[in-house]
Amino acid sequence: MLPWVFLVVSAAMILPAAAAFAAGDEPGEYLDRRVVIWNLFFKMMTVAFTVGAVVSGTIIWLIWRFRESNPKAKPTPYEGTDW
Amino acid sequence: MGGHSNWPEWVYVGIVIALMTWVGAEAWEAERLIEHVPEDAEVIKVVGQQWFWTFEHEDGTTEIGELHVEVGKAYKFEITATDVNHSFNIHDYVVLLDAIPGRVNTVWFAPTEPGVHDIQCREYCGLIHYNMRGTLYVEEPSA
Repeated sequence: MLPWVFLVVSAAMILPAAAAFAAGDEPGEYLDRRVVIWNLFFKMMTVAFTVGAVVSGTIIWLIWRFRESNPKAKPTPYEGTDW
Repeated sequence: MGGHSNWPEWVYVGIVIALMTWVGAEAWEAERLIEHVPEDAEVIKVVGQQWFWTFEHEDGTTEIGELHVEVGKAYKFEITATDVNHSFNIHDYVVLLDAIPGRVNTVWFAPTEPGVHDIQCREYCGLIHYNMRGTLYVEEPSA
């Protein structure tokens, strides 16, 4: 599982970098810094909101699933008690 | 801890490390791209002082408070200051760099279309900081 995660992320990381490596080197063709900066901002925001959604969703699920009144709840059997 | 499995934790750790690596690599790559000054960029010396900007072109032409450039060319700003810290900003082209006395900072840009844009100091530099403005004129190529 873990190697696959690294593989996918590495591919997503290296390929665009390799493609962009020579960008802007042609005479008369220049990078538009506004585009580069906006693209970075867009990607970072996409990741930030995705991670935020996953973390928030996990916390909400945990609170719902492990609430005391959940019929499926299995309270920790404390030592010295009969519950 | 017989029978206890902690593989979800390792997956989580792997995802976090991978994400942080990706974020760092993307940011590094963007910085590398925009810091790579084209070899044919024309140098413009920018001097900030209370409370105006002076621009000196390669041919010796000096402009005060306004800067004329041409579409399709790349320009490298060599930015410094004579008195206190300032910050050179062309908002519409996302150019922003500090002007520090005794130091030359560089940033480059290539205007894409004709127009008039604001130049503004972005570091509080004294009483008239708010009015330490200039105007960027992007013009059609002359030749």
